[in-house]
Amino acid sequence: MIDIEAVSKTFETRQGRRHLALTGISLSVADGEFVSILGPSGCGKSTLLYIVGGFVAPSEGVAKVKGKPVTGPGPDRGPVFQEFALFPWKTVLGNVMYGLVQRGVSKVEAQERARELISLVHLTGYESFYPKELSGGMKQRVALARTLAYRPSILLMDEPFGALDAHTRTRLQNDLLDIWERDRKTVLFVTHSVEEAVFLSDRVAVMTRSPGRIKDIVAIDLPRPRLRADLLLDRRYQDYVVGIERLMETPAEEGA
Amino acid sequence: MGRIGALPGVPPLLAGVALLVAWEFAARLIGISGLPPATDALAQLPAILSDPESLLDIAASLRRMAIGFALALVVATPVGLMMGRSRTVAAFFNPLLMVIYPVPKAALMPIIMLWLGVGDASKTLVIFLGVSLPVIYHSYQGSRAVEEKVLWSAAAMGMDAPARLFHIVLPAALPEILIGCRTGLVLALITMVTSEMIARQTGVGNILFNALDMAQYDTVYAMIVIIGILGFLLDFVFERLRLRLVGWAEPAADIIVGTT
Repeated sequence: MIDIEAVSKTFETRQGRRHLALTGISLSVADGEFVSILGPSGCGKSTLLYIVGGFVAPSEGVAKVKGKPVTGPGPDRGPVFQEFALFPWKTVLGNVMYGLVQRGVSKVEAQERARELISLVHLTGYESFYPKELSGGMKQRVALARTLAYRPSILLMDEPFGALDAHTRTRLQNDLLDIWERDRKTVLFVTHSVEEAVFLSDRVAVMTRSPGRIKDIVAIDLPRPRLRADLLLDRRYQDYVVGIERLMETPAEEGA
Repeated sequence: MGRIGALPGVPPLLAGVALLVAWEFAARLIGISGLPPATDALAQLPAILSDPESLLDIAASLRRMAIGFALALVVATPVGLMMGRSRTVAAFFNPLLMVIYPVPKAALMPIIMLWLGVGDASKTLVIFLGVSLPVIYHSYQGSRAVEEKVLWSAAAMGMDAPARLFHIVLPAALPEILIGCRTGLVLALITMVTSEMIARQTGVGNILFNALDMAQYDTVYAMIVIIGILGFLLDFVFERLRLRLVGWAEPAADIIVGTT
Protein backbone atom coordinates (compact mmCIF):
# COMPACT_ATOMS: atom_id res chain seq x y z
CA MET A 1 0.00 0.00 0.00
CA ILE A 2 2.73 2.46 1.08
CA ASP A 3 6.35 1.96 0.09
CA ILE A 4 8.91 4.42 1.37
CA GLU A 5 12.18 3.77 -0.45
CA ALA A 6 15.50 5.25 0.72
CA VAL A 7 13.96 8.62 1.52
CA SER A 8 16.14 11.48 2.77
CA LYS A 9 15.21 15.07 3.43
CA THR A 10 17.54 18.06 3.72
CA PHE A 11 16.20 21.45 4.73
CA GLU A 12 17.85 24.71 3.78
CA THR A 13 17.93 26.97 6.85
CA ARG A 14 17.54 30.73 6.54
CA GLN A 15 21.24 31.25 7.09
CA GLY A 16 21.84 29.03 4.08
CA ARG A 17 23.00 26.07 6.15
CA ARG A 18 21.78 22.59 5.29
CA HIS A 19 20.04 20.48 7.90
CA LEU A 20 19.69 16.75 7.34
CA ALA A 21 16.30 15.88 8.86
CA LEU A 22 15.80 12.34 7.55
CA THR A 23 18.19 9.88 6.03
CA GLY A 24 17.89 6.50 4.37
CA ILE A 25 14.32 5.76 5.43
CA SER A 26 12.73 2.62 3.98
CA LEU A 27 9.41 1.35 5.28
CA SER A 28 6.52 -0.57 3.76
CA VAL A 29 2.99 -0.55 5.11
CA ALA A 30 0.57 -3.25 4.01
CA ASP A 31 -3.08 -2.69 3.11
CA GLY A 32 -5.13 -2.38 6.30
CA GLU A 33 -2.10 -2.21 8.54
CA PHE A 34 -1.78 0.22 11.47
CA VAL A 35 1.84 1.38 11.68
CA SER A 36 3.18 3.95 14.14
CA ILE A 37 6.29 6.04 13.68
CA LEU A 38 7.70 6.61 17.13
CA GLY A 39 10.50 8.96 17.99
CA PRO A 40 11.69 11.91 20.08
CA SER A 41 10.68 15.40 19.00
CA GLY A 42 12.79 16.76 16.18
CA CYS A 43 13.57 13.36 14.68
CA GLY A 44 11.76 14.16 11.44
CA LYS A 45 8.89 11.70 11.94
CA SER A 46 6.28 14.28 10.97
CA THR A 47 8.32 15.23 7.91
CA LEU A 48 8.23 11.58 6.85
CA LEU A 49 4.44 11.63 7.14
CA TYR A 50 4.25 14.87 5.11
CA ILE A 51 6.33 13.24 2.38
CA VAL A 52 3.84 10.36 2.13
CA GLY A 53 1.04 12.95 2.15
CA GLY A 54 2.68 14.79 -0.75
CA PHE A 55 2.88 18.05 1.23
CA VAL A 56 6.68 17.97 1.30
CA ALA A 57 8.96 16.59 -1.43
CA PRO A 58 11.79 14.22 -0.45
CA SER A 59 15.36 15.28 -1.27
CA GLU A 60 16.29 11.73 -2.18
CA GLY A 61 14.38 8.50 -2.59
CA VAL A 62 10.72 8.04 -3.32
CA ALA A 63 7.45 7.42 -1.49
CA LYS A 64 5.00 5.22 -3.38
CA VAL A 65 1.33 4.65 -2.75
CA LYS A 66 -0.23 1.64 -4.51
CA GLY A 67 2.96 1.43 -6.56
CA LYS A 68 2.78 5.00 -7.87
CA PRO A 69 5.27 7.68 -6.75
CA VAL A 70 3.66 10.44 -4.67
CA THR A 71 3.74 13.78 -6.52
CA GLY A 72 1.34 15.81 -4.39
CA PRO A 73 -1.56 15.63 -1.95
CA GLY A 74 -4.62 13.62 -2.92
CA PRO A 75 -7.90 12.41 -1.46
CA ASP A 76 -6.62 8.81 -1.25
CA ARG A 77 -4.49 9.97 1.73
CA GLY A 78 -6.41 11.78 4.46
CA PRO A 79 -4.37 13.79 6.98
CA VAL A 80 -5.27 14.48 10.63
CA PHE A 81 -2.98 17.07 12.22
CA GLN A 82 -2.07 17.82 15.83
CA GLU A 83 -3.19 21.42 15.19
CA PHE A 84 -6.68 20.19 14.10
CA ALA A 85 -6.53 22.61 11.12
CA LEU A 86 -10.29 23.00 10.94
CA PHE A 87 -11.91 25.68 8.77
CA PRO A 88 -12.86 28.19 11.50
CA TRP A 89 -15.49 29.94 9.35
CA LYS A 90 -17.43 26.70 8.88
CA THR A 91 -19.65 24.97 11.41
CA VAL A 92 -19.01 21.38 12.49
CA LEU A 93 -21.39 20.19 9.75
CA GLY A 94 -19.78 22.54 7.22
CA ASN A 95 -16.32 21.24 8.05
CA VAL A 96 -17.28 17.57 7.75
CA MET A 97 -19.16 18.18 4.48
CA TYR A 98 -16.37 20.25 2.94
CA GLY A 99 -14.33 17.48 1.35
CA LEU A 100 -17.42 15.74 0.00
CA VAL A 101 -18.72 18.88 -1.71
CA GLN A 102 -15.20 19.49 -3.01
CA ARG A 103 -15.24 15.96 -4.46
CA GLY A 104 -18.45 16.77 -6.32
CA VAL A 105 -20.98 15.05 -4.03
CA SER A 106 -24.38 16.79 -3.94
CA LYS A 107 -25.15 18.98 -0.92
CA VAL A 108 -28.01 16.76 0.26
CA GLU A 109 -25.95 13.59 0.04
CA ALA A 110 -22.93 15.27 1.65
CA GLN A 111 -25.06 16.44 4.57
CA GLU A 112 -26.43 12.97 5.11
CA ARG A 113 -22.98 11.39 5.13
CA ALA A 114 -21.59 14.18 7.32
CA ARG A 115 -24.31 13.57 9.92
CA GLU A 116 -23.43 9.85 10.00
CA LEU A 117 -19.77 10.71 10.63
CA ILE A 118 -20.60 13.29 13.27
CA SER A 119 -22.53 10.56 15.05
CA LEU A 120 -19.62 8.14 14.59
CA VAL A 121 -17.29 10.54 16.44
CA HIS A 122 -19.94 11.17 19.12
CA LEU A 123 -20.67 14.80 18.28
CA THR A 124 -24.38 14.60 17.44
CA GLY A 125 -26.03 17.81 18.60
CA TYR A 126 -23.00 19.98 17.83
CA GLU A 127 -23.59 20.25 14.06
CA SER A 128 -24.16 24.01 14.11
CA PHE A 129 -21.27 24.89 16.45
CA TYR A 130 -18.21 26.77 15.21
CA PRO A 131 -14.70 25.40 15.96
CA LYS A 132 -13.99 28.26 18.40
CA GLU A 133 -16.83 26.98 20.58
CA LEU A 134 -15.34 23.48 20.90
CA SER A 135 -12.70 22.02 23.20
CA GLY A 136 -9.51 20.50 21.79
CA GLY A 137 -10.80 16.93 21.97
CA MET A 138 -14.00 17.87 20.17
CA LYS A 139 -12.05 19.74 17.49
CA GLN A 140 -9.95 16.64 16.84
CA ARG A 141 -13.13 14.55 16.58
CA VAL A 142 -14.40 16.99 13.93
CA ALA A 143 -11.07 16.83 12.10
CA LEU A 144 -11.19 13.02 12.09
CA ALA A 145 -14.78 13.03 10.80
CA ARG A 146 -13.89 15.60 8.13
CA THR A 147 -11.09 13.37 6.85
CA LEU A 148 -13.03 10.09 7.07
CA ALA A 149 -15.90 11.76 5.15
CA TYR A 150 -14.18 11.66 1.76
CA ARG A 151 -13.16 8.03 2.28
CA PRO A 152 -9.37 8.10 1.95
CA SER A 153 -7.91 4.60 1.78
CA ILE A 154 -4.98 5.76 3.95
CA LEU A 155 -5.11 7.82 7.14
CA LEU A 156 -2.03 9.94 7.90
CA MET A 157 -2.16 10.94 11.54
CA ASP A 158 0.39 13.50 12.75
CA GLU A 159 0.49 13.33 16.57
CA PRO A 160 -3.28 13.79 16.51
CA PHE A 161 -3.71 13.52 20.28
CA GLY A 162 -0.49 15.36 21.19
CA ALA A 163 -2.23 18.61 22.17
CA LEU A 164 -4.83 16.96 24.41
CA ASP A 165 -4.90 16.26 28.13
CA ALA A 166 -4.30 12.68 29.31
CA HIS A 167 -7.96 11.83 29.94
CA THR A 168 -9.18 13.15 26.60
CA ARG A 169 -6.27 11.49 24.87
CA THR A 170 -7.25 8.07 26.28
CA ARG A 171 -10.86 8.46 25.23
CA LEU A 172 -9.88 9.46 21.71
CA GLN A 173 -7.44 6.54 21.43
CA ASN A 174 -10.25 4.14 22.38
CA ASP A 175 -12.66 5.76 19.92
CA LEU A 176 -10.08 5.73 17.14
CA LEU A 177 -9.52 1.98 17.61
CA ASP A 178 -13.32 1.42 17.60
CA ILE A 179 -13.67 3.32 14.33
CA TRP A 180 -10.62 1.66 12.80
CA GLU A 181 -11.90 -1.86 13.64
CA ARG A 182 -14.94 -1.24 11.40
CA ASP A 183 -13.15 -0.93 8.06
CA ARG A 184 -9.44 -1.28 8.89
CA LYS A 185 -8.01 1.50 6.78
CA THR A 186 -4.26 1.68 6.31
CA VAL A 187 -2.95 4.02 9.01
CA LEU A 188 0.39 5.75 9.38
CA PHE A 189 0.43 7.25 12.88
CA VAL A 190 3.12 9.59 14.19
CA THR A 191 3.57 9.81 17.97
CA HIS A 192 6.18 10.28 20.67
CA SER A 193 4.23 8.21 23.20
CA VAL A 194 5.39 4.60 23.54
CA GLU A 195 2.14 3.47 25.22
CA GLU A 196 0.05 5.06 22.50
CA ALA A 197 2.09 3.39 19.76
CA VAL A 198 1.91 -0.07 21.40
CA PHE A 199 -1.79 0.24 22.22
CA LEU A 200 -2.83 1.18 18.68
CA SER A 201 -0.39 -0.40 16.27
CA ASP A 202 0.35 -3.60 14.39
CA ARG A 203 3.95 -2.46 14.02
CA VAL A 204 6.00 0.35 15.55
CA ALA A 205 8.88 1.95 13.65
CA VAL A 206 11.27 3.44 16.21
CA MET A 207 13.30 6.41 14.97
CA THR A 208 16.55 7.96 16.17
CA ARG A 209 17.10 11.62 16.85
CA SER A 210 18.42 13.93 14.16
CA PRO A 211 19.22 12.95 11.53
CA GLY A 212 16.18 10.71 11.74
CA ARG A 213 16.61 7.14 10.67
CA ILE A 214 14.70 3.98 11.52
CA LYS A 215 16.41 2.18 14.39
CA ASP A 216 14.13 -0.83 14.56
CA ILE A 217 10.65 -1.99 13.62
CA VAL A 218 8.78 -3.85 16.36
CA ALA A 219 5.77 -6.04 15.50
CA ILE A 220 3.10 -5.75 18.22
CA ASP A 221 1.57 -9.20 18.48
CA LEU A 222 -1.41 -8.43 20.71
CA PRO A 223 -4.94 -9.68 19.98
CA ARG A 224 -7.63 -7.38 18.62
CA PRO A 225 -10.06 -5.89 19.40
CA ARG A 226 -7.91 -4.40 22.11
CA LEU A 227 -9.46 -3.22 25.34
CA ARG A 228 -7.44 -0.77 27.34
CA ALA A 229 -8.25 -2.27 30.76
CA ASP A 230 -7.24 -5.78 29.65
CA LEU A 231 -4.15 -4.57 27.86
CA LEU A 232 -2.73 -2.59 30.77
CA LEU A 233 -2.74 -5.80 32.84
CA ASP A 234 -1.35 -7.90 30.00
CA ARG A 235 2.28 -8.91 30.61
CA ARG A 236 3.06 -8.85 26.87
CA TYR A 237 1.84 -5.25 26.54
CA GLN A 238 4.05 -4.23 29.45
CA ASP A 239 7.03 -6.03 27.90
CA TYR A 240 6.52 -4.22 24.59
CA VAL A 241 6.36 -0.83 26.31
CA VAL A 242 9.44 -1.45 28.44
CA GLY A 243 11.35 -3.03 25.55
CA ILE A 244 10.68 -0.10 23.23
CA GLU A 245 11.52 2.44 25.91
CA ARG A 246 14.91 0.71 26.39
CA LEU A 247 15.43 0.67 22.64
CA MET A 248 14.82 4.43 22.52
CA GLU A 249 17.29 5.10 25.34
CA THR A 250 20.24 3.20 23.86
CA PRO A 251 22.30 5.41 21.55
CA ALA A 252 22.27 4.53 17.88
CA GLU A 253 25.24 2.39 16.88
CA GLU A 254 26.74 4.15 13.91
CA GLY A 255 27.59 1.77 11.09
CA ALA A 256 26.54 -1.32 13.03
CA MET B 1 -25.64 57.42 37.78
CA GLY B 2 -23.65 54.21 37.89
CA ARG B 3 -26.49 52.18 36.47
CA ILE B 4 -27.46 54.71 33.80
CA GLY B 5 -23.80 55.21 32.86
CA ALA B 6 -23.48 51.49 32.19
CA LEU B 7 -26.30 51.44 29.63
CA PRO B 8 -25.09 50.93 26.06
CA GLY B 9 -24.88 54.20 24.15
CA VAL B 10 -24.95 56.37 27.26
CA PRO B 11 -21.17 56.92 27.73
CA PRO B 12 -20.57 58.05 24.12
CA LEU B 13 -23.64 60.30 24.34
CA LEU B 14 -22.28 61.87 27.53
CA ALA B 15 -18.89 62.37 25.88
CA GLY B 16 -20.59 64.09 22.90
CA VAL B 17 -22.61 66.37 25.16
CA ALA B 18 -19.52 67.20 27.24
CA LEU B 19 -17.62 68.18 24.09
CA LEU B 20 -20.46 70.46 22.97
CA VAL B 21 -20.68 72.09 26.41
CA ALA B 22 -16.90 72.69 26.49
CA TRP B 23 -17.07 74.12 22.98
CA GLU B 24 -19.97 76.42 23.90
CA PHE B 25 -18.18 77.75 26.99
CA ALA B 26 -14.86 78.18 25.20
CA ALA B 27 -16.49 80.17 22.42
CA ARG B 28 -18.56 82.35 24.74
CA LEU B 29 -15.96 82.96 27.46
CA ILE B 30 -12.75 83.26 25.48
CA GLY B 31 -14.32 84.66 22.35
CA ILE B 32 -11.86 83.45 19.72
CA SER B 33 -12.69 84.99 16.37
CA GLY B 34 -13.63 82.26 13.91
CA LEU B 35 -14.92 79.93 16.65
CA PRO B 36 -18.69 80.28 16.81
CA PRO B 37 -20.55 78.90 19.83
CA ALA B 38 -21.71 75.30 19.39
CA THR B 39 -25.36 76.37 19.45
CA ASP B 40 -24.82 78.75 16.51
CA ALA B 41 -23.11 76.05 14.46
CA LEU B 42 -25.74 73.43 15.28
CA ALA B 43 -28.46 75.93 14.38
CA GLN B 44 -27.15 75.83 10.80
CA LEU B 45 -27.74 72.07 10.49
CA PRO B 46 -31.46 72.22 9.59
CA ALA B 47 -30.77 74.81 6.89
CA ILE B 48 -27.94 72.74 5.38
CA LEU B 49 -29.80 69.45 5.58
CA SER B 50 -32.98 70.87 4.01
CA ASP B 51 -31.18 72.59 1.15
CA PRO B 52 -31.42 70.33 -1.93
CA GLU B 53 -28.14 71.67 -3.29
CA SER B 54 -26.25 70.76 -0.12
CA LEU B 55 -27.81 67.33 -0.10
CA LEU B 56 -26.74 66.80 -3.72
CA ASP B 57 -23.22 67.86 -2.72
CA ILE B 58 -23.18 65.37 0.15
CA ALA B 59 -24.58 62.64 -2.09
CA ALA B 60 -21.92 63.35 -4.73
CA SER B 61 -19.20 63.04 -2.07
CA LEU B 62 -20.57 59.77 -0.76
CA ARG B 63 -20.91 58.35 -4.27
CA ARG B 64 -17.23 59.05 -5.06
CA MET B 65 -16.25 57.65 -1.70
CA ALA B 66 -18.26 54.46 -2.27
CA ILE B 67 -16.78 53.94 -5.75
CA GLY B 68 -13.21 54.62 -4.58
CA PHE B 69 -13.65 52.33 -1.58
CA ALA B 70 -15.19 49.50 -3.61
CA LEU B 71 -12.52 49.70 -6.33
CA ALA B 72 -9.82 49.63 -3.66
CA LEU B 73 -11.29 46.47 -2.09
CA VAL B 74 -11.52 44.70 -5.46
CA VAL B 75 -7.91 45.52 -6.38
CA ALA B 76 -6.15 45.60 -3.01
CA THR B 77 -7.52 42.40 -1.45
CA PRO B 78 -6.26 39.98 -4.16
CA VAL B 79 -2.87 41.75 -4.24
CA GLY B 80 -2.52 41.46 -0.46
CA LEU B 81 -3.64 37.83 -0.42
CA MET B 82 -1.20 36.85 -3.17
CA MET B 83 1.64 38.70 -1.42
CA GLY B 84 0.91 36.67 1.69
CA ARG B 85 1.15 33.36 -0.14
CA SER B 86 4.09 34.01 -2.47
CA ARG B 87 7.47 35.39 -1.49
CA THR B 88 8.09 36.49 -5.07
CA VAL B 89 4.90 38.53 -5.23
CA ALA B 90 5.66 40.03 -1.79
CA ALA B 91 9.21 40.91 -2.84
CA PHE B 92 7.81 42.61 -5.94
CA PHE B 93 5.18 44.75 -4.23
CA ASN B 94 6.71 45.40 -0.80
CA PRO B 95 9.27 48.09 -1.73
CA LEU B 96 6.70 49.78 -3.95
CA LEU B 97 4.22 49.96 -1.07
CA MET B 98 6.85 51.25 1.35
CA VAL B 99 7.55 54.11 -1.06
CA ILE B 100 3.87 54.97 -1.56
CA TYR B 101 2.71 54.48 2.04
CA PRO B 102 4.15 57.67 3.65
CA VAL B 103 3.15 59.95 0.75
CA PRO B 104 -0.01 61.88 1.74
CA LYS B 105 -2.45 60.85 -0.96
CA ALA B 106 -4.19 64.22 -0.99
CA ALA B 107 -0.82 65.84 -1.77
CA LEU B 108 -0.88 63.96 -5.07
CA MET B 109 -4.15 65.63 -5.96
CA PRO B 110 -2.65 68.56 -7.94
CA ILE B 111 -0.56 66.13 -10.02
CA ILE B 112 -3.47 63.78 -10.61
CA MET B 113 -5.62 66.75 -11.62
CA LEU B 114 -3.13 67.48 -14.40
CA TRP B 115 -3.80 64.03 -15.85
CA LEU B 116 -7.46 63.50 -15.09
CA GLY B 117 -8.90 66.98 -14.67
CA VAL B 118 -10.84 68.40 -11.75
CA GLY B 119 -13.80 66.03 -12.06
CA ASP B 120 -14.84 62.81 -10.36
CA ALA B 121 -12.01 60.70 -11.80
CA SER B 122 -9.24 62.54 -9.91
CA LYS B 123 -11.07 62.54 -6.60
CA THR B 124 -12.10 58.90 -6.89
CA LEU B 125 -8.50 57.94 -7.71
CA VAL B 126 -7.21 59.73 -4.61
CA ILE B 127 -9.79 57.94 -2.44
CA PHE B 128 -8.83 54.66 -4.11
CA LEU B 129 -5.15 55.23 -3.26
CA GLY B 130 -5.95 56.17 0.33
CA VAL B 131 -8.02 53.05 0.95
CA SER B 132 -5.81 50.60 -0.96
CA LEU B 133 -2.75 50.69 1.27
CA PRO B 134 -4.28 49.64 4.59
CA VAL B 135 -6.38 47.02 2.81
CA ILE B 136 -3.33 45.59 1.00
CA TYR B 137 -1.30 45.62 4.19
CA HIS B 138 -3.91 43.86 6.32
CA SER B 139 -4.81 41.36 3.58
CA TYR B 140 -1.11 40.57 3.32
CA GLN B 141 -0.78 40.02 7.07
CA GLY B 142 -3.98 37.97 7.21
CA SER B 143 -2.95 35.83 4.26
CA ARG B 144 0.52 35.22 5.67
CA ALA B 145 -0.94 34.07 8.98
CA VAL B 146 -3.14 31.34 7.45
CA GLU B 147 -2.07 28.04 8.98
CA GLU B 148 -0.23 25.84 6.53
CA LYS B 149 -2.02 22.72 7.82
CA VAL B 150 -5.39 24.29 6.99
CA LEU B 151 -4.22 24.72 3.40
CA TRP B 152 -2.84 21.17 3.37
CA SER B 153 -6.19 19.84 4.61
CA ALA B 154 -7.86 21.50 1.63
CA ALA B 155 -5.13 20.28 -0.75
CA ALA B 156 -5.73 16.70 0.44
CA MET B 157 -9.38 17.11 -0.58
CA GLY B 158 -8.14 17.78 -4.11
CA MET B 159 -8.30 21.59 -4.12
CA ASP B 160 -5.68 23.26 -6.34
CA ALA B 161 -3.70 26.38 -5.38
CA PRO B 162 -5.81 29.05 -7.17
CA ALA B 163 -8.99 27.61 -5.63
CA ARG B 164 -7.34 27.53 -2.21
CA LEU B 165 -6.57 31.27 -2.47
CA PHE B 166 -10.24 32.03 -2.97
CA HIS B 167 -11.91 29.32 -0.85
CA ILE B 168 -9.44 29.00 2.04
CA VAL B 169 -7.06 31.97 2.25
CA LEU B 170 -9.77 34.60 1.67
CA PRO B 171 -12.19 33.43 4.38
CA ALA B 172 -9.37 32.59 6.80
CA ALA B 173 -7.87 36.07 6.37
CA LEU B 174 -11.24 37.86 6.38
CA PRO B 175 -11.08 39.05 10.02
CA GLU B 176 -7.75 40.76 9.31
CA ILE B 177 -8.92 42.08 5.91
CA LEU B 178 -11.90 43.72 7.57
CA ILE B 179 -9.64 45.46 10.09
CA GLY B 180 -7.86 46.97 7.08
CA CYS B 181 -11.22 47.92 5.60
CA ARG B 182 -12.21 49.75 8.78
CA THR B 183 -9.05 51.85 8.63
CA GLY B 184 -9.68 52.26 4.90
CA LEU B 185 -13.17 53.57 5.54
CA VAL B 186 -11.85 56.36 7.76
CA LEU B 187 -9.14 57.18 5.23
CA ALA B 188 -11.78 57.23 2.48
CA LEU B 189 -13.67 59.92 4.36
CA ILE B 190 -10.50 61.95 4.96
CA THR B 191 -9.29 61.75 1.36
CA MET B 192 -12.83 62.48 0.17
CA VAL B 193 -12.87 65.82 2.01
CA THR B 194 -9.28 66.82 1.22
CA SER B 195 -9.69 66.01 -2.47
CA GLU B 196 -12.62 68.39 -2.55
CA MET B 197 -10.59 71.04 -0.79
CA ILE B 198 -8.21 71.07 -3.73
CA ALA B 199 -10.65 70.49 -6.60
CA ARG B 200 -13.80 72.30 -5.60
CA GLN B 201 -16.82 71.60 -7.74
CA THR B 202 -19.26 69.63 -5.68
CA GLY B 203 -19.19 67.80 -2.41
CA VAL B 204 -18.98 68.18 1.33
CA GLY B 205 -15.54 69.78 1.05
CA ASN B 206 -16.90 72.25 -1.51
CA ILE B 207 -19.51 73.58 0.95
CA LEU B 208 -17.00 73.62 3.82
CA PHE B 209 -14.17 75.46 2.10
CA ASN B 210 -16.41 77.91 0.24
CA ALA B 211 -17.98 78.86 3.58
CA LEU B 212 -14.48 79.26 5.03
CA ASP B 213 -13.50 81.61 2.20
CA MET B 214 -16.60 83.70 2.92
CA ALA B 215 -15.95 83.65 6.69
CA GLN B 216 -19.25 81.86 7.35
CA TYR B 217 -17.85 80.07 10.37
CA ASP B 218 -21.22 78.78 11.58
CA THR B 219 -21.54 76.81 8.35
CA VAL B 220 -17.89 75.67 8.47
CA TYR B 221 -18.37 74.15 11.91
CA ALA B 222 -21.76 72.72 11.01
CA MET B 223 -20.07 70.91 8.10
CA ILE B 224 -17.35 69.59 10.41
CA VAL B 225 -20.10 68.22 12.66
CA ILE B 226 -21.80 66.63 9.63
CA ILE B 227 -18.53 64.99 8.51
CA GLY B 228 -17.98 63.71 12.04
CA ILE B 229 -21.47 62.24 12.19
CA LEU B 230 -21.01 60.68 8.74
CA GLY B 231 -17.81 59.03 9.97
CA PHE B 232 -19.54 57.76 13.09
CA LEU B 233 -22.51 56.33 11.15
CA LEU B 234 -20.32 54.67 8.51
CA ASP B 235 -18.18 53.05 11.18
CA PHE B 236 -21.24 51.96 13.15
CA VAL B 237 -22.81 50.26 10.12
CA PHE B 238 -19.46 48.75 9.12
CA GLU B 239 -18.91 47.27 12.59
CA ARG B 240 -22.36 45.65 12.51
CA LEU B 241 -21.55 44.14 9.13
CA ARG B 242 -18.11 43.03 10.29
CA LEU B 243 -19.46 41.23 13.34
CA ARG B 244 -21.98 39.40 11.17
CA LEU B 245 -19.32 38.34 8.69
CA VAL B 246 -16.64 37.21 11.14
CA GLY B 247 -18.61 36.33 14.26
CA TRP B 248 -16.99 32.89 13.98
CA ALA B 249 -13.58 34.44 14.70
CA GLU B 250 -14.30 36.52 17.79
CA PRO B 251 -12.54 35.27 20.89
CA ALA B 252 -14.78 32.89 22.82
CA ALA B 253 -12.95 32.01 26.00
CA ASP B 254 -16.07 31.39 28.07
CA ILE B 255 -18.40 29.56 25.73
CA ILE B 256 -16.59 26.30 25.13
CA VAL B 257 -19.27 23.64 25.44
CA GLY B 258 -17.44 20.51 26.57
CA THR B 259 -14.27 19.22 28.06
CA THR B 260 -13.41 16.40 25.68
